[in-house]
Amino acid sequence: MQRQVALIKQSLFDQGYLDEQFMELEELQDDANPNFVEEVSALYFKDSARLINNIDQALERGSFDFNRLDNYMHQFKGSSTSIGASKVKTECTKFREYCRAGNAEGCLRTFHQLKKEHSTLRKKLEHYFQLARQAGPKETARRPK
Amino acid sequence: MTVEQNFEALDQFPAGMRVLAVDDDQTCLKILETLLRRCHYHVTTTNQAQKALELLRENKNKFDLVISDVDMPDMDGFKLLELVGLEMDLPVIMLSAHSDPKYVMKGVTHGACDYLLKPVRIEELKNIWQHVVRSRCDKNRGSNNNNVGEKRDGSGNEGGGNSDQNNGRANRKRKDQYNEEEDEERDDNDDSSAQKKQRVVWTVELHKKFVAAVNQLGYEKAMPKKILDLMNVEKLTRENVASHLQKFRLYLKRISGVTNQQAIMANSDLHFLQMTSSLNGLDGFHHRPTTVGSGQFHGGTPGMRPFPSNGILGRLNSPSGIGVRNLSSPPAGMFLQNQNDLGKFHHVSSLPLNHSDGGNILQGLPMPLEFDQLQTNNNNKSIAGSSMAFPTFSTQQNSLIRAPNNLVVLEGHPQASPSGFPGHQINKRVEHWSNAVSSSTLPPPQTSNSIHHQFDVSPLPHSRPDPLEWNNVSSSYSIPFCDSAATDTTNPGAFSRNTDFDSNANAQPGVFYDSLQMRQSGNYGPTTDAAMLSNNPKEGFVVGQQKLQSGGFMVADAGSLDDIVNSTMKQEQSQGELSGGDMGYGGFSSLRTCI
Repeated sequence: MQRQVALIKQSLFDQGYLDEQFMELEELQDDANPNFVEEVSALYFKDSARLINNIDQALERGSFDFNRLDNYMHQFKGSSTSIGASKVKTECTKFREYCRAGNAEGCLRTFHQLKKEHSTLRKKLEHYFQLARQAGPKETARRPK
Repeated sequence: MTVEQNFEALDQFPAGMRVLAVDDDQTCLKILETLLRRCHYHVTTTNQAQKALELLRENKNKFDLVISDVDMPDMDGFKLLELVGLEMDLPVIMLSAHSDPKYVMKGVTHGACDYLLKPVRIEELKNIWQHVVRSRCDKNRGSNNNNVGEKRDGSGNEGGGNSDQNNGRANRKRKDQYNEEEDEERDDNDDSSAQKKQRVVWTVELHKKFVAAVNQLGYEKAMPKKILDLMNVEKLTRENVASHLQKFRLYLKRISGVTNQQAIMANSDLHFLQMTSSLNGLDGFHHRPTTVGSGQFHGGTPGMRPFPSNGILGRLNSPSGIGVRNLSSPPAGMFLQNQNDLGKFHHVSSLPLNHSDGGNILQGLPMPLEFDQLQTNNNNKSIAGSSMAFPTFSTQQNSLIRAPNNLVVLEGHPQASPSGFPGHQINKRVEHWSNAVSSSTLPPPQTSNSIHHQFDVSPLPHSRPDPLEWNNVSSSYSIPFCDSAATDTTNPGAFSRNTDFDSNANAQPGVFYDSLQMRQSGNYGPTTDAAMLSNNPKEGFVVGQQKLQSGGFMVADAGSLDDIVNSTMKQEQSQGELSGGDMGYGGFSSLRTCI
């Protein structure tokens, strides 16, 4: 079971969903904070879902206030970086570039992609945490080999 | 912090250091909190800047360090940074996902002691305690000066020499400080002793006295002991004066160094005071009753005399007579403030004046009201993020305040780069300041037309015109530039003046002053004049004056503070007569050393 968990985690890294930052977070997890990483992830997804909503609405309005969109994205990027959500972060960067270029279509496309990555990551992490919980708290803290 | 608390905390320091973390992003905040806890710090978090301010105001001694995000919805992180620095005099670390150097620069100029990029790593957090120690040592240095005044030998080199020692002793001192707050036997150098920390609030009046004393003695010859004697203020110790002088010098240096037209002028004064005030937690910053943190520049702060527009400077000067507190640091810039962009000074003031004795260096600066305003503004505003330490100033004209980094304060003024004038200007400024201060009624800028007159400021450089005189004189001076500036923040006229002057002035350090003067229009009277003079030698206005004094100053393209200082110093020296030795600053060299 633990091995499975480790494998899943490893694959997440390998596939580029997560990066070193996630590892750092795991380092922070300890007995005093046994579910730290999971908690942080939950927070992240909650926050980011809200952000995504905001961006969605802004885009739907069709007004394309690039400044504002850029701000949202900056925030999104900040938290994605903090948690180590690598692919999401990449999409954020792309989105911001399109914003700066004033490319509405590019923004839309990227955002769509971003949402996809985001939900994929979410599912994967949820799955991972679930397994980890089943495998036992201590194991999850281990870094992928 | 109480001694007892500190004592305990000290024992384990850096463990147990109390950190306040502010970030609107919950995810990042949580991570940050955990990281900090992992470093064994004591962490308090909030995701609202307002709440953070409340917590801090509630009890200044409750925290040792603040870490704040830059992008926050309810308040700009830089603004918070300034407010905290000014009001509470705590070290603040900025945190952001922006790695753009502009932001980092902004952080620095607003007084952040560090700037971290997200995602923040634990390794980086492990060393943040150094900022706390450093700031404490600085404070100690300041307070020690106060306490150890008598003990220390009247060494002339306040600041400069001591700082080294202080630094060396910093760590030791810190602990000592905690443990031996009352250790007055410390025989450390002025700065280093960890004596009982006595915060001296450099009010505008006090600063005025200080500036007057410096002018009287001659910038170069200004020694804390002598200044102290001249000032004749009870309970003021040599250390207080020494540290204030150091700040003042640094400020002037910094101001002159910021050649950007914008920055120096406006900011210097205000900045100086602000800077110092931030150190002191804004207490005396300009005496402005305005609440610190009110974020608003008291554009018209109390007493601010003539500067209506530039509030900032005005504030500086006005409320309590321009308590240019830590004038020492603000280099010429301070004076320059008078320009509309008093705020500029503000920027300039990013000087490390964070002395505990009340960073209001500017306060004391005679900068005509403008400074005052700046100061007050700065204090209050301190932060306004917009480099505007002197909100009043920049507003209109110069957008100084906006100066990217406080330094620039003087934005609007092309000449803003007063940096050229360091020595000279400072002297003048000092005089101005004192004058300005003394005559809190600085002639309102209205005299814009008379600006030229002001340059007659000759009294400045040469003699120490009594403050009142200065003011009178200045009134006429400042105005020229300030025409409208004085009266309204947006003195387009004033600016224009500067610009005109700028032709020459800008390049010169004097420009700074010019800008200031111009801006201040009125209040600056004395100081501005100097600036004006220096700035536009060509202009003629100042030229008369400046030429005398700073012939050399202004011209210098104040590319760098050093240059300015050098030129100023040279000027000073060569122009002995001009400065009449009054300007204490003549001796930038001393300034240099201090710095």
